[in-house]
Amino acid sequence: MGEFKVHRVRFFDYMPTAIRAMAFNAHTERLALARMDGSVEIFNFTDHYFQEKVIPGKDSRSIESLCWVGGRLFSAGLNGEIAEYDLENLRPKYSLEAYGGPIWTIISNTQGTQLAIGCEDGTVKLFEVLEEHIQFERNLDRQKGRIISLSWHPSGTHIAAGMMDMIRVFDVPTGHAVQRLLVDRGFGGSKSRETVVWSVAFLSDHTVVSGDSAGKVQVWDGHTGTLVKTHLVTKWDVLALSVSKDESSVVAGTSEGTVIQFQFIAPTLHQQQGKEWVRTRTFKNHTHDVRALAEIETAIVSGGMDTHLVVRPLLEKFDEKSHASGLRKIHFPHRNLVSCAKKVGLLLFQFPGQLELWRLGDSDGHGKPGDRLPLERMPEKLLLLKRKGEDHICCSALSSCGGWLAYSTVSCVRIYRLQTDNNNISITKVSKLPKALHSAHQLCFSSDSSKMFAASSQSSVLVIALTQSECKYVHTLKPKSGSRQPIHLMTTSVDGKWLAAANSDCEIHVYNLQKLKLHCIVPVYGSCPSAMGIHPTTNNLTVVHADQQVNTIISQLYLLQDWSRKLQKQGLHNVWLDRDTPVTHVTFNSKNPNQVVLHDMHMFCIIDQSLPLPDQKTQFYNQMTLRSLSEQERPSHLHAFKICKTFQDLLCVSLLDDQSLVVVERPLLAITSQLPAPVRQKKFAT
Amino acid sequence: MAKKLLRTSPSSSNKFNSANMTDDFQLHLDSSDDDAPEEVTFEESKASALRSMKNALETSKREKDLLKEKRRKRQEMFQEQKKRRLLPAHILEEIDTAPSKKQKLPRDQAESNHEEAYCSWEEGREGSKEGYEKETKKGFKGNIRRLKGNYSVMRVADQSSTNSQQQTAMDFIQARLYGPGSQRTTNNEVLSLQNKRGPNKSAAMQFVNKKWGTEKKAKAEKLKKQWIQKRKVPSS
Repeated sequence: MGEFKVHRVRFFDYMPTAIRAMAFNAHTERLALARMDGSVEIFNFTDHYFQEKVIPGKDSRSIESLCWVGGRLFSAGLNGEIAEYDLENLRPKYSLEAYGGPIWTIISNTQGTQLAIGCEDGTVKLFEVLEEHIQFERNLDRQKGRIISLSWHPSGTHIAAGMMDMIRVFDVPTGHAVQRLLVDRGFGGSKSRETVVWSVAFLSDHTVVSGDSAGKVQVWDGHTGTLVKTHLVTKWDVLALSVSKDESSVVAGTSEGTVIQFQFIAPTLHQQQGKEWVRTRTFKNHTHDVRALAEIETAIVSGGMDTHLVVRPLLEKFDEKSHASGLRKIHFPHRNLVSCAKKVGLLLFQFPGQLELWRLGDSDGHGKPGDRLPLERMPEKLLLLKRKGEDHICCSALSSCGGWLAYSTVSCVRIYRLQTDNNNISITKVSKLPKALHSAHQLCFSSDSSKMFAASSQSSVLVIALTQSECKYVHTLKPKSGSRQPIHLMTTSVDGKWLAAANSDCEIHVYNLQKLKLHCIVPVYGSCPSAMGIHPTTNNLTVVHADQQVNTIISQLYLLQDWSRKLQKQGLHNVWLDRDTPVTHVTFNSKNPNQVVLHDMHMFCIIDQSLPLPDQKTQFYNQMTLRSLSEQERPSHLHAFKICKTFQDLLCVSLLDDQSLVVVERPLLAITSQLPAPVRQKKFAT
Repeated sequence: MAKKLLRTSPSSSNKFNSANMTDDFQLHLDSSDDDAPEEVTFEESKASALRSMKNALETSKREKDLLKEKRRKRQEMFQEQKKRRLLPAHILEEIDTAPSKKQKLPRDQAESNHEEAYCSWEEGREGSKEGYEKETKKGFKGNIRRLKGNYSVMRVADQSSTNSQQQTAMDFIQARLYGPGSQRTTNNEVLSLQNKRGPNKSAAMQFVNKKWGTEKKAKAEKLKKQWIQKRKVPSS
């Protein structure tokens, strides 16, 4: 395999934001996630929970609640506005001021014709969902307190509203409040504070389930307005509730980080009647508050202040223990936040609010594998570039020579020219940008830095020519398929002839840059590509998909390479397929054309295409055993996948031109240290 | 009741008057002997009357002068304070031109207090620009110009755009989840407890991981140095 000098980088202070709300669309099997900085992420649950789309946030936007109506996504926040999102162009379509003060929650009825929002001023406002927009219909009776949570009865006739110290049931056609359910306050010191009903759920038999700040989950009869059962679940707040589709199970998320499931079953086996809501399971997958919860058919999805998304499949829904029934935690985004200038050893870190440019340190020493070499020159931060305006940065790129830098938000694109003298760095903004370039989903520079490629709407790519200090629009590359989905991956070849672009429809288009037209469409594979790379010498395209399949395509003939065909026939090793994080970066070794370097969050791997493929029985992680074997025995045990797990929590692994590896780690412990305060739990013997 | 009050007052005043009269009588009896009354000439009395009047006039004049003096001094002090608050004109001009010349180099928003700005002005009077990259008052971002009088100019866009309702809503949620009575602890504590109860027992996070608790460690270092110094001085 070879020895590499590794630059172990830990100075990327990447800090993810807390999850605030989520909504699951059962028809399209997509989960929409809203974070505290206003960004929205869409996960495809049929495709190994791949993060398909990311809509960047905005400073003034705050999202408290999300809601799907058919295929449309709506959100409401404390700035008093309802926003609808354009999922093809990854931006908000419009935002409508509701004139009710801060909005706490938004829900839709099962028919998908109306939206209801709960406002700070105590009104529940109904909006009609029309084709291209929404329109205000009427207010329900105004109440004295703020409306924190809402739930629509499946028939659409009643709405339950959780307020301070009470729950009100409204009759939708008349708008009057027909029932008032009084919620008890907590005991002890919290008797003086009002109880906030953080979430309600209205079931079809008119049962109302509520979770409140005193830590209770209560079951009420919506017809008579009486309390049926109280479950005291925690000392802290119950922040989120979610009902399964068949209404047999309700899950509650608490401030402690636990998720508790209640099921509608008969408490004793012999009695068939007398079903009631019984507390069954407790999951403790979070360390901080759980603020967003969704129960889908086979799993419970939870997210909260500890920023990671947890998918907990319910084991009774699976016949056998498989990869699909294991716990999944999604920590890092499924896209690259680090750009590396391979020729000069510069790194560009993308934050939502700024970009940081660092020069890697240097060391001259030599040593055995595993040694830590002394640094002769420390890594230094060359540049901190803050964005202008309120929109967050959605993508950025650094040219491989380190001379050009670009970033894009939903409203603007900025390109900068960098000049590094010995110790000084100067940056000049390129002022006149082509009019067609107003926002990009992905940015990419060609390897000789003469062109920049910007992925814009409807899967098209804008080609911009870069001269000494200005840029000119050259051409728009359009795909033939007419797909409207955005491009999320782009890569160019080293000789500047080819450009490959992948969009969320799982299509990969290869463009010929000399003729500036579409060369071919790669045969569609069922899973979305998560990383792509074009080989420097053979120009073969290597694609890794979200289901961990590795395909190598000969771009001239757009056929699968023989090696890849063999791999598909033999099938990948189970251990490789069981990994739960997707590969986010593919790069190549210029010295050894057979080697492909790729990484995911927990490991990086060098695939050597000249070595035999492992079959199901061979040991997959065999690096340690190989080291212990003697020279003669080794060749018989070698296989193509060489995995290294020394470095953990990887954000990027890249290979510089001088044959040294750059490994950017972000230890999860460092992220935990900056999270907000967790609850204090008194444990025995501490 | 009212009559009683009326009756009591004359009687009390009568008592008082009789007391006075007896006193007067006493004085008269003491001083009046067989001496002849004192002779005071008209000129003398005139002179003394004039003198007393002059004194009165003079004292009033002096008082007026004193007050005037005080007022003048106060006015001067205010003027001086006002002058101090306003930066000299040429530095204001420099601040105006500096943002337009500035390129996108790292700009940290240095929010310095007015007092600090004043001190640095005193120290580096001739052409020191660094102190005034962003002359701001605490709580505001961006440039604020102070004009004469009580006016100041600032951009509306620099102010935070969350309105008061949104702020109260955010405060409400913050207070309910993290405010008093929410029984929260620190991440350090939770991780340290995990260390203590885990299968491999180890010390608290700030001792295991070098990056935790850096402020406390820095403070401890400083105190240690001070203590060593203290021990050295008495012994030497």
